[in-house]
Amino acid sequence: MLRRVWSVMQKEFIHIVRDRRTLLILIGMPMIQLLLFGYAINMNVDHIPTMVVDQSLDSASHAYLDALVTSSFFDLIAYLPSQADLIDAIDEGRAQAGIVIPAGFAADVERGQAQVLLLVDGADFFTSVSAYNAASVIAQTYATELLVARVERAGLAARRGAGPGEGLQGLLPLDTRVRILYNPNLNDLWFIIPGMTAMLLQVQTITLTAAAVVRERERGNIEQILVTPIRPAEFMVGKMVPTGAIALVNLLTILAVGVVWFDVPFQGNFWLFLLLALLYVFSGLGLGLLVSTMSQNQKQAHQLVALTTMVGLMLGGFIFPRYTMPPLLQFAGNLFPLTYFIPISRGIITKGVGLESLWEPVAVLLVYVVVVVTVAARAFKPRLD
Amino acid sequence: MRKRLTRFGAVLRKEMIQTLRDRRTLAIVLLMPLLQLLLFAYAIDMTVDHIPTAVADLSLDAQSRALIESLLASGFFDLTLYARDEAEVMQAIDAGAVRAGVVIPPHFGEQVERGQAQALILLDGSDSFTVQSGYSAALAVAQARAMELLVQQVDRMGLGSSLAGLPVTTSARVLYNPALDDLVFLVPALAAILLQILSVNLTAMSVARERELGTLEQLLITPIRPLELMLSKMIPNILISAAGLLGITLAGVYWFGVPFRGDPWLFAWVSLLFIISGLGLGLLISTVSQTQHQAQQISVLLFMLNLLLTGFIYPREPMPPAIQAVGNLIPLTYAIRLTRGIFTKGVGLSFLWGDVLALAIYSAIVMLLASITFKKRLD
Repeated sequence: MLRRVWSVMQKEFIHIVRDRRTLLILIGMPMIQLLLFGYAINMNVDHIPTMVVDQSLDSASHAYLDALVTSSFFDLIAYLPSQADLIDAIDEGRAQAGIVIPAGFAADVERGQAQVLLLVDGADFFTSVSAYNAASVIAQTYATELLVARVERAGLAARRGAGPGEGLQGLLPLDTRVRILYNPNLNDLWFIIPGMTAMLLQVQTITLTAAAVVRERERGNIEQILVTPIRPAEFMVGKMVPTGAIALVNLLTILAVGVVWFDVPFQGNFWLFLLLALLYVFSGLGLGLLVSTMSQNQKQAHQLVALTTMVGLMLGGFIFPRYTMPPLLQFAGNLFPLTYFIPISRGIITKGVGLESLWEPVAVLLVYVVVVVTVAARAFKPRLD
Repeated sequence: MRKRLTRFGAVLRKEMIQTLRDRRTLAIVLLMPLLQLLLFAYAIDMTVDHIPTAVADLSLDAQSRALIESLLASGFFDLTLYARDEAEVMQAIDAGAVRAGVVIPPHFGEQVERGQAQALILLDGSDSFTVQSGYSAALAVAQARAMELLVQQVDRMGLGSSLAGLPVTTSARVLYNPALDDLVFLVPALAAILLQILSVNLTAMSVARERELGTLEQLLITPIRPLELMLSKMIPNILISAAGLLGITLAGVYWFGVPFRGDPWLFAWVSLLFIISGLGLGLLISTVSQTQHQAQQISVLLFMLNLLLTGFIYPREPMPPAIQAVGNLIPLTYAIRLTRGIFTKGVGLSFLWGDVLALAIYSAIVMLLASITFKKRLD
């Protein structure tokens, strides 16, 4: 049996090494993607291009705008005369947010009835949410400061034992701290690299084997393989091992780029990660083989790969958290190995936890590999007859 | 000219027959985008709420309960686990059982009275969406609660009348999407990206396939010219892509109820241009590749670029200029602005002509390049 598997592996290795151009693409692609996306993705939107309609132009409105600008969430790029101009500018895409301060702002602040209008471009999700949150927090802080100043003026500060100028924290009776575990500085790359590693490997492994069987079928080579004594499962394993080697190279280069180039701290056990990543690689290769045996030609296989990678990406938890999805779709996500590897990858790289927290996804992945290879071998068999 | 048309017609007929004959592929191609739209529109929830949360309340008094109540009432946090202490909360987050934790120290009520109370909220920092929503929600709720307490205390001291409320309130208005409805963000961009993937995939294998199957030789001995061949490969696929687009748009508008604010005809024409640019890009990939396998690798790369660089999920503004330039090489970058502009904002050509022009130039260049590389490969 081993000899039969070995001969298929040899054949596959020769195929892979001979086609230099494809090999180069295969090995270089994930690394280039990680470099590109590492620089590209920035989830904390700040410096939102903002235009201002200030109909008061008094000290209070200046103070308010200063608070907005120093937050670095908003960049004031222009002053406009009216709200209609502002909406035009957002329509055209020249500004993504706008602030309207009505006339008589300072007097309204004194009376405690001042109102500011924030306009946000709602066509872009991240910008609108960032702007919305930032503006509310800034406004709340600014309002609280004003309130505290007034309380101090009323002499409350002395009675409460807080000295003047001690500010907000001294006066508020409740102080809540929010601590972000594992990634206290909200570094984007720390979020992205572990998930991206999982995703690039998934896409790569599925594509690597998806064409494998169907290509032999299309070229007529499958007849030649059928006359050899090889069994379906052996054939599958023989196809998986050499492509597994490519995926392993990809894994190492991606990790090197992430950890060495982008400086993402690797908190957990490296060898454990490598071992589990290998298991994951085989699950992806198995899924690719299944796609390949089910397709009639390469074009179909290609369409199915596009579907699998896209669905895996959206439902696997890389970008959008899974717990917000309806149960049925969470279940659909369970069909992709990516779903199990993302908690493993984040667990080991970012959180630094070990098997004691991760045994569940690991067990599922193990079962997954066995099931998917068996199903692929089974699906391959009836096609032979 | 008539000769040219006959030539063109013959190859076009061949392509049509080939496309229609392979029923299974045709079915996959037509159903896939629709299926994905349904799936993703239900799956993706950009405003993350109901974050699974563990609570360790070491006080169990009225004040601690009030704080927890206000956190839960915000809808952002769901209490899924009562923990004994901070360590147990940490453990639950480590294991991924919960994504957030609230720790309230002993004697919380007394500390609030003395004005020195501290509560701790922990967030799982390995998941960015959770952190972003959780962070601002937690801060906002906590600050609001603190203000409420302050106002209560001030009231008791008899200063109440001068502090009826906050001196400044901000009312935010989100244009085009006032309720921050996910689907309004999602459906137009999703339509564009699914159409892009569909159109590129349709042609990416075409020339490489003929080359691999050996039928390219047969085509070469016909008098057809490269550009004509490219066009005839494109036309049947325009029909398929248009059918896909129609399905997606109808599902978005009628099934998901996303408002279509702009001019449908403008949308149709712009989409046609977008489809042509995608099919052209697919053809270019196909002529550049030696085998179908290579073509597939390249289109997978393109797929990832589509998703991450064009503004579909992550905004383009914060990207470095070099990366933005890479994004400009993908037609989807222009199309996302266009679909959001027409679909969501309801603006017309006067605002969008730049992107339309870019797409037109793009289509022309890509078709020319595909013909030229095809010609070179022949020699």
